[in-house]
Amino acid sequence: MAKRSYYDIDDILAGQERVPCFLRTDLDGLGSAGSGGGSSKVHRNTRWTLPYWMADRLNEEDYLDMEVSPIFAKRANRMYAASPESMQLRAICQHYYQFGLQLGEMVPEIPHVLYNMYMTRIRKVARIAQQGHNVEALDFVQSLDKMEARMLRLCQQAQGAIIAWQQNRAYALKRAAVIHD
Amino acid sequence: MAVTSRQREGFTMPELEYVAQCESVTIVPLHRMDRLELVRGTVGPFRPPQKTKVPLWLAVMLKRTNRCRIVAPTWLSFEHLRDLCKREEQPDSLFTRLPFHYLEIAHIILTYAEDDLVDSQGIRRLLQDLREVRQSKTRGGMEMLNPLQLQMDNLSAAEINEIRPLFRHSFDMLRQLDLLASATEDSRQQQQQSQFGELSYSEMDNVMGSSYPL
Repeated sequence: MAKRSYYDIDDILAGQERVPCFLRTDLDGLGSAGSGGGSSKVHRNTRWTLPYWMADRLNEEDYLDMEVSPIFAKRANRMYAASPESMQLRAICQHYYQFGLQLGEMVPEIPHVLYNMYMTRIRKVARIAQQGHNVEALDFVQSLDKMEARMLRLCQQAQGAIIAWQQNRAYALKRAAVIHD
Repeated sequence: MAVTSRQREGFTMPELEYVAQCESVTIVPLHRMDRLELVRGTVGPFRPPQKTKVPLWLAVMLKRTNRCRIVAPTWLSFEHLRDLCKREEQPDSLFTRLPFHYLEIAHIILTYAEDDLVDSQGIRRLLQDLREVRQSKTRGGMEMLNPLQLQMDNLSAAEINEIRPLFRHSFDMLRQLDLLASATEDSRQQQQQSQFGELSYSEMDNVMGSSYPL
């Protein structure tokens, strides 16, 4: 299992992404846990989608066969490699990178795919942060996933901090109220 | 004390300014004073018009009470900065040598001792140009990110602080991807080795013997 930080909320949310699974046993009384179907018995040899954290554990115990999520299927990977900058990551998966890291053990192409995506997109993020807002970048900014959006905010803050300090807006020394003349 | 998210990512500019004030500058005292014994060392005695070296914070304090004039450091002159700018703008050049706290020291002197500088407006303009060129170079440094090592010499404290969140996060991400890639590589090699081990000797004879005509 990939190393995850236990307390990281983004990591927990990333593991919530659903993956398709192929059940090997009957599950009684859990029909409402999957997507669709209100019946309380789920038979073996049916397809079901479960959150990744659950599916991973059950996969190791051999209760089901976990399959690769459509987000990182072969066809999707080819699309990512072709045009990383125009992908709408927020629509695909809000925690794209973290989910990819968690799935990394299963799908050997993921490190290359993620590396490609990350390097091209983070360069664009850094450029946007340094140039300030412009209209063409608005589409790109709206397509960032949560991690990239946080990076953009941090970079913009770092930029603004130096400028504000140079214009003497960073702090103001005032006389304390307790001092009387 | 609560730490803001801004403080967690690095230093704040006022903190860097505070640290920069430990650097020493030369002053020309205007009044006679005895020596001062401070924690970091003894300063003085001040005998005008002899030049003395003092820490920057003390120089600012004396300047504000009109007891000294600050001598601009050698690198904070219009000609020197213009040369540095020219050298910086040449393509494929490394960062030029500047004091580690050059931005902070320049800011402090421009704020409190502007009259001690020659052509302060020109210096401000040159500093701005210098900063922009160096910023575009750091962006070029981003292209060369790898999980092992990246060397950028002669960056100043404020510039490092600016790029810290982005580079730190990128290094982390690249390292994790690297670990993942090598982990899957290891497991794939193990699989290949075990496949060879499963072939029994008779099968191997068949496999290898079939290519030789008997």
